[in-house]
Amino acid sequence: MMRLIFKIWLWCLAACLWLGTAQGANFTASLDRDTMTLGETATLSLTFEGGSPQNAPAPDVPGLDISSSGNSQSFSMVNGAMSSTVTVTYSVTAQQPGQYTIPALTADVGGQSLTTQPITLTVQKPDAPSADDIHSGNEAAFMTLSLPSGKVYLGQELTAELRIYVRDDVQNFGNFQFTGQNADGFLLGKSAQGGRSQARVGDRVYTVIPVTYALTTTRAGQLTLGPFTAQAVIVLPSQNQPNVDPFFRQFFNQGDQKQITLATTTATLDSLPLPDQNKPANFGGAIGNFTLAVSVGPTNVTVGDPVTVRVQIAGHGALDSITLPDQSVLPGFKVFPPTVKTDAGNGLGLDGTKIFEEIVTPQTADIHAWPQFSFSYFNPDDGQYHTVTQPPVALTVQAAGATPMPAFAKTSAPENQPPADILPIKENPGRLRPTGTALINQPVFLLLQGLPVMALLAAWIWRRNTDNLANNPRRRRQLAVAQLVSQGLAELKQFAAGNQPDEFFATLFRLLQEQLGERLDCPASAITENVIEEHSLLRQAPASTRDGLRELFQLCNQARYAPVRGTSELNSVASQFQKVIAELKELRA
Amino acid sequence: MKAPILNSLVVSGKRVLLVMVAIGMAGNLFAADADGDFAAANRLYAEGKFSAAATGYEHVLETGGVSANLLFNYGNAEFKAGNLGSAIAAFRRAGLLAPRDQEIRANLDYVRNQVQGTTIRPPRWQEWLGQLSLNEWTVLTALAFWLALALFTVRQIRPALRPRLSGFTTLAILLTLGLGTGMGLQAASHFTQATAVVTTTPATARSGPFDDAQESFTAHDGTELSILSRHDDWVQVSDAQGKIGWLNVKQVQVVPGA
Repeated sequence: MMRLIFKIWLWCLAACLWLGTAQGANFTASLDRDTMTLGETATLSLTFEGGSPQNAPAPDVPGLDISSSGNSQSFSMVNGAMSSTVTVTYSVTAQQPGQYTIPALTADVGGQSLTTQPITLTVQKPDAPSADDIHSGNEAAFMTLSLPSGKVYLGQELTAELRIYVRDDVQNFGNFQFTGQNADGFLLGKSAQGGRSQARVGDRVYTVIPVTYALTTTRAGQLTLGPFTAQAVIVLPSQNQPNVDPFFRQFFNQGDQKQITLATTTATLDSLPLPDQNKPANFGGAIGNFTLAVSVGPTNVTVGDPVTVRVQIAGHGALDSITLPDQSVLPGFKVFPPTVKTDAGNGLGLDGTKIFEEIVTPQTADIHAWPQFSFSYFNPDDGQYHTVTQPPVALTVQAAGATPMPAFAKTSAPENQPPADILPIKENPGRLRPTGTALINQPVFLLLQGLPVMALLAAWIWRRNTDNLANNPRRRRQLAVAQLVSQGLAELKQFAAGNQPDEFFATLFRLLQEQLGERLDCPASAITENVIEEHSLLRQAPASTRDGLRELFQLCNQARYAPVRGTSELNSVASQFQKVIAELKELRA
Repeated sequence: MKAPILNSLVVSGKRVLLVMVAIGMAGNLFAADADGDFAAANRLYAEGKFSAAATGYEHVLETGGVSANLLFNYGNAEFKAGNLGSAIAAFRRAGLLAPRDQEIRANLDYVRNQVQGTTIRPPRWQEWLGQLSLNEWTVLTALAFWLALALFTVRQIRPALRPRLSGFTTLAILLTLGLGTGMGLQAASHFTQATAVVTTTPATARSGPFDDAQESFTAHDGTELSILSRHDDWVQVSDAQGKIGWLNVKQVQVVPGA
């Protein structure tokens, strides 16, 4: 049974839908207003009834910015007839005042091609409210714009004040946005919002929001500022609850939200050109009222050392336009480009200090001072040029290679106070050397330490030998005889060559005595031919050695009586002596 | 026969001379390049381009050698560029080359004061020893050693001078022992007590030598930490409060202890 009822209900619904759609489709375009002020936003609605569009048309009107802001769909049933409505909305803003026409739009809805009627939108230029409107309290919010009075010069910076008045019954003031800031002959600079205050205008109390603008005049002649236009959203108390006590209304009244357009009147002033009379040669365009301070340090340096020159210009005026005179070509100095720092005294940048810091290096020791520095500006208050001058700063520049006072001593802060910055860099790299290992790890250095050890060892050995020799007379005699024999052999050869047999054999005999005396450890004078047979050491000697000795002794004896022999024979005897001496040295006691 | 040998000797001599002249000229050229690069880096510094100046000094360090002045300027540039750790490492290296340079010490102290958190400081006796570099200690010790051995050698050669030299000999021996002790302590500090200067911020020390290890403590740029051990690309460090952790070598610069 239930199943049958459900089927019947479905059939009824389908029939109703068919009946609804069979009523015919409709397509309309509408604006929420036909007139608006420049800066306001209108809403364009495209409504499709009786079906959904295949493609919603996108209107395109020159001078208007139209952007989609959403769409919605709704169903309704009236007397059993169901209808559907699709609404596509667009936000419309104008770029310029004027009259605009949104053309007829065509869309395909439910298989039908439908066209809307053209719509006209009038965009009005925002106008400042009249004085009567303001004083009557009819304006929920309004703006005023004012310029200072007095002479204004080309390039001068000044301020304009914009005041936004919001009536006391406005529950909320938000989404404030400028839509136009006309400034003919002015360059708009920074702005700063001041503190809110209350002011009575006519019979109403308004909250005043001041906004100060920095302006720079860009040409001479009559200049016009404004109108400034803006839009905002305010919430006013709802008029639908007149009987509710105001005390409770402030808590429970949600209010009516309203978008408003604000506009100021225009303000004009005359801008004067800067006078040519008495214009200083170094005038660089600074307009205002300034003071100058120059510091130079350190003042005791070596040629090539960096010196910091700090030029501080403080006062009221266009700080951005202040430039340092070109100092790139200063005789005797090398000047690096300066760094610039601006400390604005307020948010507008019209008061404050501009600091130029440049590094210079004296190139010769002939420099004795940092030269005089002048700065010129035009003061609009008295309409005259002024020049402030800083006298020369004495410098002591020592020639490279001289010993300057240590840098830390010149720049260090007083005792017990931390230094303000690190000490400056050094001009010379010093002696560059390869990155090496520590001396103690270098083999050459370690080997070098062996030299004194070896010297000491050698001295110790020498001392030991010397001492040993001093305590060993036989060894001393051995060495002395060896030296004597060595010298004697040379003499023998000389005598042989000179054919001097007497001297030859006398020397030979003496050498034989010395050598045998040393070997036999007895006085040399006691040595005769008989020792060959008598001494045990010689008895143990080879027969050839003993024969040789015997022959040499006999030759010495015969030489006293025999005739003179020749050189060759003497040389032969000398050789024989040398051989016998060598054999004697081999004998062991 | 002698003429060809003589000729070949003359030719060889000329070649050796040419090579020596070439080496000398090359040395002068390198020195001139390094001086030019140093001056260029100084100009960049004066213009306020501190990072570029630091790169310039680093280039000289890599190609032209090392000096206390070069490292001093490098430290200044790194500090001005905001790299406290690199500046401290440079000043410490400069201090190793010129330990009594007051300007290096002043700048090192200044930069250390900018570092957040606590940092290790060497004990007083080590600071006193640090008045001389390790090489200076070594040379002084070697001189005292040579003097002592020279006196001993003279005593061997001239025993008669022994009574006169005994006082000098004792003094030389004591000097050698004293300076040798200083050198030994300085060498021990140099080779075993290296310091890791944190060059990144924040550097997170971990409980083990791997990236996933648990965090141990955090050190700021410029913090000086004692190195306890090394493992691959990691160093085990200890901070002034005794906390121990591992840092990757990319996060630190290792500076010898003295």
